[in-house]
Amino acid sequence: MILGLLVTHVVGIAAAGVAGRRSIRAALAIAAIPPAMTTLWSFGRIAGSPDPLVREIVWVEGLDLTLRFRIDSVALLMTLLVSGIGALVFAYSIGYFRPDAEGGVRFPASLLAFSGSMLGLVWADSVWTLFIFWELTSITSFLLVGHKHTDESVRTAARRALMITGAGGLVLLAGLIVLTNETGTAVLTDMHPVDGAGGALAAVLILIGAATKSAQVPFHVWLPGAMAAPTPVSAYLHSATMVKAGVFLIAVVGSTFADVQTWKVLAAALGIASMLWGGVGALRHRDAKLILAWGTISQLGLLVTLFAIGSAKAVFAGVAILLAHALFKATLFMVVGEIDVRTGTRDIAELGGLWQSMPVACAAAVAAGLSMAGAPPLLGFMAKEAAIEAVLGLEATEKIVFAGAIITGSVLTVAYTTRLLIGVFGPGPATRVGPPRIALSLPSVTLAAAGIAGFLFVDVSDRLVSDTATELESKAGVYALIMWPGITTAFVVSAVILLTGAVSGAWLAGRETKPAPRMVGATATDATIDGVLSVAPRLTARIQHGSLPVYIVTMIIAATLATLPFFADFSANRLEVWNHPFEPVLAIAILGSAIAGTFVNSRLGAALALGAVGLGISALFVTYGAPDLALTQLLVETIIVVGFVLGLGPLRRGFPINDNTWQTVRIVVAVAGGVAVTAALLMAGSAPTGTAPIDDLTNAAVDEGGGKNVVNVILTDIRALDTLGEVVVLATVAVGILALARVNRTEAAR
Amino acid sequence: MIASRSPIVHLGIRAASPLAIIVGTYLLFAGHNQPGGGFAAGLVFGAVTTLRTVAGIQRPTHTAGLVATGILIVVAVAAAPLLWGDALLDQAVVSGTLPLLGSVKSGSALVFDIGVTIIVVGLIVALLDGLPSGPSGRPVNKAQP
Repeated sequence: MILGLLVTHVVGIAAAGVAGRRSIRAALAIAAIPPAMTTLWSFGRIAGSPDPLVREIVWVEGLDLTLRFRIDSVALLMTLLVSGIGALVFAYSIGYFRPDAEGGVRFPASLLAFSGSMLGLVWADSVWTLFIFWELTSITSFLLVGHKHTDESVRTAARRALMITGAGGLVLLAGLIVLTNETGTAVLTDMHPVDGAGGALAAVLILIGAATKSAQVPFHVWLPGAMAAPTPVSAYLHSATMVKAGVFLIAVVGSTFADVQTWKVLAAALGIASMLWGGVGALRHRDAKLILAWGTISQLGLLVTLFAIGSAKAVFAGVAILLAHALFKATLFMVVGEIDVRTGTRDIAELGGLWQSMPVACAAAVAAGLSMAGAPPLLGFMAKEAAIEAVLGLEATEKIVFAGAIITGSVLTVAYTTRLLIGVFGPGPATRVGPPRIALSLPSVTLAAAGIAGFLFVDVSDRLVSDTATELESKAGVYALIMWPGITTAFVVSAVILLTGAVSGAWLAGRETKPAPRMVGATATDATIDGVLSVAPRLTARIQHGSLPVYIVTMIIAATLATLPFFADFSANRLEVWNHPFEPVLAIAILGSAIAGTFVNSRLGAALALGAVGLGISALFVTYGAPDLALTQLLVETIIVVGFVLGLGPLRRGFPINDNTWQTVRIVVAVAGGVAVTAALLMAGSAPTGTAPIDDLTNAAVDEGGGKNVVNVILTDIRALDTLGEVVVLATVAVGILALARVNRTEAAR
Repeated sequence: MIASRSPIVHLGIRAASPLAIIVGTYLLFAGHNQPGGGFAAGLVFGAVTTLRTVAGIQRPTHTAGLVATGILIVVAVAAAPLLWGDALLDQAVVSGTLPLLGSVKSGSALVFDIGVTIIVVGLIVALLDGLPSGPSGRPVNKAQP
């Protein structure tokens, strides 16, 4: 079933691409089918069997390269978010895009490709599988953020996002390699806790990778820029799914790093910094979408902080907030997108009075906003309550740090939520509003209703959260989501947070906000990318200067130096002078041709002399009993000589005259290279180690390969993977030559 | 063209072409048990193509098509066993009796070798295309700095 669902996504991508030539809306409708199917399937799994579903496809045996998927409670919850919200986002996009919008092929296909990659990521049970899908989400996200690619600022934003998440991906890969070396397995669920320096190194690398993806300070600079994406993309990638990948990874490998102090400290630092700085950022902006983006940074910081604490209660609260956040943040993005489409602006200073003109959107946004603020009667309230209880249950310093941070972060959250809701829907200039579109409002209403239902049907949401949390931390099963906790400390703290936040938010909503300054981090990132792009061509021009003689001299010097270590173990007594009387005759012929080649004045003559050397070597192979080698050598020499005849045609007959210094350099290098190769061959011949595997190979050739020509069976069967690689290289060279020839021809035609 | 001035060379290459094709095909099929194989066969075809170019006689020009066909064949042979759960590049051997030839044994290695041959020919044709006196006959190579 796992593979079936992934294949459905691939088929859907192709189908959406074909349909997109005609109409973007048809393509979006088709692309919604795979996520919808996956959602229904995951509902069935949640209701039904609790056993994890595992599927493994071995790719290369012995290298531990396998595609391994495992669908447990954690993966099921994420599947529900990825595919459930995904299907709604496709429906929403139908309303968002005009029927004649551009990118009908590109957008639906990329969005579905992202959806499939995200599923692969949350289902992955091998670190390599996880990494592949992790990178796929980065690439598809780049395509989606850069949707309006004709706008330069959009391209810059997309490039920035790709560079930061891509660089983070490489760091993550390094971390995963260290981790697999420490634990001795690539299977995520088989990993035992690590410790020591290796564990700390893996912890730091993986945290950096996760922080780039989940837009944690100081890697958050790409997320506000990524708001250049169409709003359905922001609702999907930048709230509910892709940015959750980092948090998901931290949650999944958290138990492996439970004994590593660095993990906890660094994760908590990243999380707390993002939670507070994101909250402040959300208060500094007027663009509703940017407010939500900064709010996302803050909320992700809260999640990272909770998973950093790692106690059973904190993990439980983290999972609850993960679920609640996906629901309310996607709703809010969708509502902001609807406002953008119907009024033409997202600036909260220009918006006002929408509670009258857009009542449905207003209701959805208020429900989602209250859930974000952590107010009852909503899912967000129960989740926030669990989080506050978790930090109040800590000891001493930890309690002060974490409780202080989370309470401050929550006040900021309530403040920016209040400011956003009042700024958009409250009193203000009455904005002109376009006609409603059912496809725009239905998905956001559905998600907002899910937030309310999560509170009303607490049994269902509790089971979802509880199962997932138990999977991550075995002791988390004792906790539950509670609708009405009574007057507890946590509830009083919550009430104080809500009151303080609401008052300060309302006060801030009444004030003029200056347009926020450009982010220093974003400018620095762009400058770095531009710097690399301008240094690269200059460096390339320096290394690849295009002078063939200098290339050859460099290569021969390098080869000469490489033979030096072999001079150590040379023993002359093992050498044989010759095996066959033909050999000295051939050797004289070869030497003669080689020397003639250096004295001939015409280029063609030198080419023919080189050909004679090659033929002599080919004859030597025959005396050694290697007919395959001799045949190949003979054919290659033939082609080279004929090729010289062709290639030398338009050139002068003689060699150009060089100055003496360069001539001397070439002679010295050539002699040194010749001596080094001769010496290396002598040494290789003088020190054979072990016995030749010829008997094994002969038997294997006949038994397994079914052929008597050992050389050929090695090429096509025993070492066929090498041959496959080699012919791919040949084909690549051919394509390269074709491209160069075409460039030359176009230049010549000008 | 250099050699097109000499009728003997011209005629010789023309006469040798079918022979070379036979030799190349023989090497391709014989390779499993005797000297030869896909690479050698590709080189024979490549050599005759090069000679024909020297003499200014018609030669294959579908470079991209040749390379693409070859790659598709080798990758298909390599990946096919994955479809029925075997490892990458696993060999399948077929034996049967053909009229005139008697008992014949062959395998997917032969198909793999055919792909190799086509790629080698494609590479050589690409090289010929890239040379200054390509089929268009005018100098196209600008001097490198």
